[in-house]
Amino acid sequence: MGRTLAFLISFVSLIIGATSELQGAETVWSGLVIAENVAQPQTIPPELTRIEGSLKKFFGYNQFQVIGQSQKTLKTGQEDWLATSKFFGLHVDAQGESAAGYVLNLKLYKEKELLLETDAKLSKRSPLVIKGPQIGSGQLLLVLVIQ
Amino acid sequence: MKTFEEKWTAWLDGQLSGRELAEFDASLPDRAAAEAEKADVRKLGALLKRELGVSAFANEEFFSHQLRERILERSVPSAKREANASTWWTIPRLLWTGTASLAVFLIFTIFVIRDKNPAEESQYLTQILNARVDPVVSPNGTVSMFEVKQDRVTVLWTEGLQSLPADYAAK
Repeated sequence: MGRTLAFLISFVSLIIGATSELQGAETVWSGLVIAENVAQPQTIPPELTRIEGSLKKFFGYNQFQVIGQSQKTLKTGQEDWLATSKFFGLHVDAQGESAAGYVLNLKLYKEKELLLETDAKLSKRSPLVIKGPQIGSGQLLLVLVIQ
Repeated sequence: MKTFEEKWTAWLDGQLSGRELAEFDASLPDRAAAEAEKADVRKLGALLKRELGVSAFANEEFFSHQLRERILERSVPSAKREANASTWWTIPRLLWTGTASLAVFLIFTIFVIRDKNPAEESQYLTQILNARVDPVVSPNGTVSMFEVKQDRVTVLWTEGLQSLPADYAAK
């Protein structure tokens, strides 16, 4: 009984120590979002729910619609993918993984024209929002979230 | 032929009888002194018996006593061996060691987490390493960065990008 208890204590200690090192593959959601002010705003897409407050406060729009998206599960941290709409393409190139997140190279294309390029270290707990060009009365936003 | 000493010892022990006793009594130079000595020897014998108390064994008792002695002789070294083989890790010590290890681990964990916290705060937030707009497409384009602590959102804010008609919002 006593030995079992001692073994359990040691085992639990080891598990607690090891758990912090265990991390699985993660999924990055990348989306092209049109933000607009409308009379009857639609419900925000579920991917944006957690940052709804910040989006509204920072950009001053009441409706956010996804016009293109991609969900990529990263296994090596070296993958690349594309989220596209009819006219825009967001190319994401993961260039490695660290304890904090992934290093990404992002390129926003309008058809074949490169509008914007950025390198970012995307944290697992912190979404990235990029303000794109003005489109009509709205705004194109690029959103990246690790789910 | 017995010597005088042998006869004396036998006389003290009351082993002489008959003619042998009569002859020995006659040979004693001082009968009274001899009788007194005999009485002293008997007293001494009785005292020794009483004090030393050696218990006499019957045959079967002696045999079983011997057996017990041998069994003990054999069992004592094995008990010693057992005592040597049983390690320092007794159950209470194992418990104490486990508890102490857990306590040390927790203390270190708390210290490490406390030290890490300031650095982790920055790790929580996405960092923009660099950003550029195409100067040909957007000659007046500028970029700046914000961090919204409320939702830990990092914002790359661009200005001066070419505006596009509403058709570009198509899916």
